[in-house]
Amino acid sequence: MAPSQAAQVNLSPAELSFLRSSLSQTPPIRLDNTKGPRDFRSMVAEYDVLPSTNGSARIALDDGTEALVGVKAEVEKSLWRPNVEGRRALSIAAGDVDMTDDDKLESHDNKGKGQNSWIEISVEIPGYRDDDALPVFLASMLTESLLSSGELKDRLYINNRFHWKLGIDILLLSPPLSYPLALLSMTTHLALLTAHLPALKSEKDEDPLFDDDWDAAVPLYPKSDSSGGANVDKPPVIVLAMAVGPNIIFDPCKEELAVADAVLAIACAPSNASSTGPRIVSIRTIDPPSHLTPPAVPNAMNSATGGVAPASTAEALTQRELLSASGVWTPPRGGMKRDLIKRVSSMVVDKGGVAEEVIAALQAIEVG
Amino acid sequence: MAALSDRRRINAPSGGTTAPVFAKTLKEPGYLEELRPQRSRDPKELRKICECLQCFITVTAHPQKLKLVLTTLSTVLQTSIIPSASGSAYLEIPNTNPPSTSTLIPPTSSLKITASVQGPKPLPRSAPFSPTLLLTTTVKFAPFATRHRRGYIRDVAERDLGVHLETALRGVIIGERWPKSGVEVVVTVLEGDEDAWWGQDGGGNGSGWGLLNVLAGCITVAGAAIADAGIDCVDMVSGGVAAFVRGPADGGEVLALDPCPAEHQEIVAACAVGYLHSRDEVTEVWLKGDAGLEAADSLIEGATQAAQGSFGVMKEVLLENMGKNVKPEDATSKVGGKRKQVEVEMTG
Repeated sequence: MAPSQAAQVNLSPAELSFLRSSLSQTPPIRLDNTKGPRDFRSMVAEYDVLPSTNGSARIALDDGTEALVGVKAEVEKSLWRPNVEGRRALSIAAGDVDMTDDDKLESHDNKGKGQNSWIEISVEIPGYRDDDALPVFLASMLTESLLSSGELKDRLYINNRFHWKLGIDILLLSPPLSYPLALLSMTTHLALLTAHLPALKSEKDEDPLFDDDWDAAVPLYPKSDSSGGANVDKPPVIVLAMAVGPNIIFDPCKEELAVADAVLAIACAPSNASSTGPRIVSIRTIDPPSHLTPPAVPNAMNSATGGVAPASTAEALTQRELLSASGVWTPPRGGMKRDLIKRVSSMVVDKGGVAEEVIAALQAIEVG
Repeated sequence: MAALSDRRRINAPSGGTTAPVFAKTLKEPGYLEELRPQRSRDPKELRKICECLQCFITVTAHPQKLKLVLTTLSTVLQTSIIPSASGSAYLEIPNTNPPSTSTLIPPTSSLKITASVQGPKPLPRSAPFSPTLLLTTTVKFAPFATRHRRGYIRDVAERDLGVHLETALRGVIIGERWPKSGVEVVVTVLEGDEDAWWGQDGGGNGSGWGLLNVLAGCITVAGAAIADAGIDCVDMVSGGVAAFVRGPADGGEVLALDPCPAEHQEIVAACAVGYLHSRDEVTEVWLKGDAGLEAADSLIEGATQAAQGSFGVMKEVLLENMGKNVKPEDATSKVGGKRKQVEVEMTG
């Protein structure tokens, strides 16, 4: 994943050390010095770009990275599941279900009936095979954050015999100039937010028949719930954050990632109730590419610069261990402290945090 | 596709089959739930890593301090089991519930994992220069490890586990000490934890909760194998899992350490970590499910406590092994085990 990419960041140990020290200042000076630690790169976004999909979006970042997502839904026959069917039949036979309020039940009928296998995500990145670590990692993180709420898959239920199968195809059009997780998730978010499914005309267990008027199609993520409130779920977004010294920097570019102490990807879904901030649906650590950077040789150990080269390997190791505080570049070791994880996640999901900003910005694209 | 299939033999169904649930047993709606195995441990108690012959080890993680009750030394975390590898380990968490006589649905599953470390060895001449040790991790389920047969080609879940394991190990190994070399960590899961109890609809519906347990086991066993291989590390890494579970038997939403997915009706959120004990850091976090900020925090906290439990066992096993390998007579030569290099003086 990241490492093989990061190996292509051709920065010398001196450059890495310089970049790290400028990023760990307060306030940090980023590679693009007009940006603060919480600023994202500017981007161009559009939706409904592909005419033959149910929903699609394209986002291009200003560094040239560009992603395209198409969401396609197909009606598929459901597999017969003995336990669920059996239990339903039994509960009706036992008179548990009051037949009079059957219509009222209808709206909640599909609760818990969705299957995880009804959503399929594929990630295509140029230069990678589809079984390489990076696309697999990205696809599984996007899938698990989408499935975590359970509401999306329940909405794909049509009746006992049929369901929608949602195919989300994510294409990175440019080579991955930076770690593309956040970009892909934002594009997917926009595509899902604008996706529509044809309106169902048939009832209950009939073979499904749909309204052929596209204007009547229902959004995959409804704008308002059945009572007209704004109590609806929204697709999740993934925010990438990295820690350098005392600072936490969001949306890092490739060079900045090469000096990170730790990298964390946090997926959050906007909460149903508007009073609270977004909910965390998934957290994953990402192996920082800085682990693979070459260590520097200090002048004191380099005979070409007037130092004395260590005589034995053991001596070299000891001298290297003493270097850690001297500012000579040494790849970071170990993991991240638990309070750092807490700090990052609260910066993301707190009221007015990074996740809320991203979600609001993507929402504005659709409205505007 | 159907035309291409083998018509000469009567083949088994390509997917898995569910254990028969006879219509009669389903007369009362709640009957199936009664058969579900119950968690008999305390929510803060971990599963035993060892239970063989007279060996008995219980690890209880309390919020404040870690208590290690050690009756006899464990042997089901074993190291140095593969002679040809430079380091190897085997971990087993046995089935806690005895098979039931009233139903054909099996109770909880067990976890059996082996890991082997090959290297560090020089990279091939054709490989480009690498300033650090190149770590390759492979996680493979044996075809018979889970109820659904796994093919010989690694699937998405296995590759994803491989990436997680790599992240967990990379932070521990001091890679800069081996330029131009590579090490391979190969983990084989002989028996994996199930995603859910099999009596539940379709057995977990591909939710993947069992994978978190498998990952924690992989981290522990790979950490032990790396220590056994004698690769320079900043610390020892061990894995642990915690989950928020919900169900009538659990009484509301509770935090359970080292959960067994079969024992709980619903898992709300779960987290696996790779934990460095002496540095008090985590190299790997994999949290999934619907969690708030506080919930996520207490999940990571709980998972580290679980990891401390497996760290205790790991330390005992490695110390025991070291004691076995370094015999009093060659203690002066300071090399032990299978990497012992005895210099023979040619005389006469």
